[in-house]
Amino acid sequence: MGTLVLSNVARSFGDVVAVRDVSFTVPPGTTFGLLGPNGAGKTTTMRMILGILIPDRGVVSWDGAAVTLPVRRRFGYLPEERGLYGKLKVRDQISYFGRLHGVPAPEDTRRADAWIERLGLGEYANRRCGELSKGNQQKVQIACAALHEPELLVLDEPFSGLDPVNAETLHSALRTLRDAGTTLILSSHQMWQIEDLCESFCVIADGTVRASGTLAELRDAWPTRIVEVEPVAAPLRSVLEAMPGARRLPDADRPTLAYEIPADADTAALLRRLVAAGDVTRFERVDPSLRDIYLRAIGAAA
Amino acid sequence: MNTIGIVFTAEFMRRIRSRAFLAGTLIGAAGILVLTLLPTILGGMTSSSSKNVVLVGDPALTAQAKKALAGDFEVASTLPRLDQAPTAAFLDAHGKAVAVAVLTTHPGLRVTVYARDPSQFRESFGRDLATVQIGLALGVPAARVEASSKVPVDVHDVSGRFADAAAADAAKGVAYFFVILLYLSILLNAQSIMTSVAEEKTNRIAELLVATLDPSRLLAAKILASAATSFIQLGVWVATGIVGGRAVTGLLAHGAAATSGAPSPLGTIDVSSGEILAFLAFFAIGFTQYGVLYAAAASLINRTEDLGSVAGPLVIPVIIGFFLAMVAMNAPNDPRIVACSLIPLISPFVMFTRIAVSSVPVWQLVLSLALNVGSAALLAWASGKIYRVGLLLYGRPPSLKQVIATLRA
Repeated sequence: MGTLVLSNVARSFGDVVAVRDVSFTVPPGTTFGLLGPNGAGKTTTMRMILGILIPDRGVVSWDGAAVTLPVRRRFGYLPEERGLYGKLKVRDQISYFGRLHGVPAPEDTRRADAWIERLGLGEYANRRCGELSKGNQQKVQIACAALHEPELLVLDEPFSGLDPVNAETLHSALRTLRDAGTTLILSSHQMWQIEDLCESFCVIADGTVRASGTLAELRDAWPTRIVEVEPVAAPLRSVLEAMPGARRLPDADRPTLAYEIPADADTAALLRRLVAAGDVTRFERVDPSLRDIYLRAIGAAA
Repeated sequence: MNTIGIVFTAEFMRRIRSRAFLAGTLIGAAGILVLTLLPTILGGMTSSSSKNVVLVGDPALTAQAKKALAGDFEVASTLPRLDQAPTAAFLDAHGKAVAVAVLTTHPGLRVTVYARDPSQFRESFGRDLATVQIGLALGVPAARVEASSKVPVDVHDVSGRFADAAAADAAKGVAYFFVILLYLSILLNAQSIMTSVAEEKTNRIAELLVATLDPSRLLAAKILASAATSFIQLGVWVATGIVGGRAVTGLLAHGAAATSGAPSPLGTIDVSSGEILAFLAFFAIGFTQYGVLYAAAASLINRTEDLGSVAGPLVIPVIIGFFLAMVAMNAPNDPRIVACSLIPLISPFVMFTRIAVSSVPVWQLVLSLALNVGSAALLAWASGKIYRVGLLLYGRPPSLKQVIATLRA
């Protein structure tokens, strides 16, 4: 198992700069979320990791060395848009991609059957891929990418277009791979789908890294916290308004006093002041969610 | 198995199992059968395209022959005798003259023709000089005139390439047959390569493949798989052309024996190992040239619907090559044809035809092979670069400027 390191990689297409400057490190056996809006440079970054595109500048390394073709054969890739031969049968398709990554026969067929079983594709094993639904094609694609037990599996929008049942099946398959030690890199717009899967994240916008680290690190770096207080009473509001750096947030759909306060504010002291000012039925310090962090990073980019 | 082998096997099996392959092979076989029989069927309707002769013989005889031939031939000159058998240089020395007819009345009228293209003369001389025979035989009983209305004609190839006119006929049949094979094979399989590349690009499979193997190896595996399926097709077509052709020709000859002495080219096909080697060499070269070109062109499109627009221009040299090969059958040593047999993309058709129907100087053969191998390597290099970039290029098709920039990169 190796560590993936991207150091100041950049890539342009003619006059269009897709990736300006991206650096991050993915430790071995971890799951890494690559977040960003459309056109942020996620797919280009992934393609540079896989050697499909060569960076104009910067270095991609695996286990301290350049990513060569033999190394790439130990990687797996699930592109955002489905890449399957429509006329090839499911089992043959999965076996083929396994062989391309060095899985010998008949091991390729044995593993293909295991993945077909795991992903619930048994009844489609001898059907042509073009006849399958989008969700089932996605499952076939996952099996193609994972059959050779890759050291690094790069998945571009893996949950795109999947219904909740199929999304859960995919989730389960990815957890299995993670538990087996595969390093995973996922991109997604739907953060809730990857938040519990990933250990660290990188938010890209406009081809540059806006935020990166584990969720705890990202939260630590977040400059504010939100406190929610009930009931909505004037004395309590006065205490919150008097706090340096506090900013009232728009009213929620329930009667709550919601304020954004500096991250380093002494919330214990604040609670004591609130209790002294009146009856407090609810006091909650809310950490920023991944979505908040993402939106803030993107907003900063805008 | 290495990646080329894996892709080759997968591509080969995909092609061989496809309906398009089956249909193409069967339709091609039927087409081969029809096209190779055409010369036999149409043979009786055509006349020689070589109209110029030098008549040699007794002045009285050549004067009568000149009158008899006036409608069909232009008699360049008449000579009382020949000191030795005419050579190509002798024919060239008589301007546009392409044949020398030596006439002799002993032991009856007999014609000996020395020609650059012997296959064209036997029939026309035999037919046209019959009237001379009748004139000369004036006073002879009708039964004898009729019996001797077929003038014996000995035809000699001045280059010594063919033993007799039948061999020259057969050579032309071989050339015709193999040029059609080459034409069909290149067209069908280059199109197949194109479709395969376009499918992989539009389905985004190319991304997966390029992540795993070098694009040039991918392209090489595709060309090899296509060539392998093409050889199978060729086998079917050759078998159809020779076995089927002989059978049908045999039947035709059986029925037409009384009315026509014209042998079918197919009926006398005797392919030499040299011709087979030449065919394989030019097939491999032509296939590579067109295969890489079609693959590169297909890598630039974004929708399979656009295939036609890029395939169109690439078909033009194939068609030109085919038609020039047809011309080369009757004028294999025409300087323009010789020049065309050196031009890459066209020469696989033209040079092969020249090899089959005439004696090609070694230097021309070597030069043609060198130019073709060189151009195939150059095309493979350029196409490989375009293919690598084109596979991952989505959106607007690249401009010519961008393609040139890609080649320079």
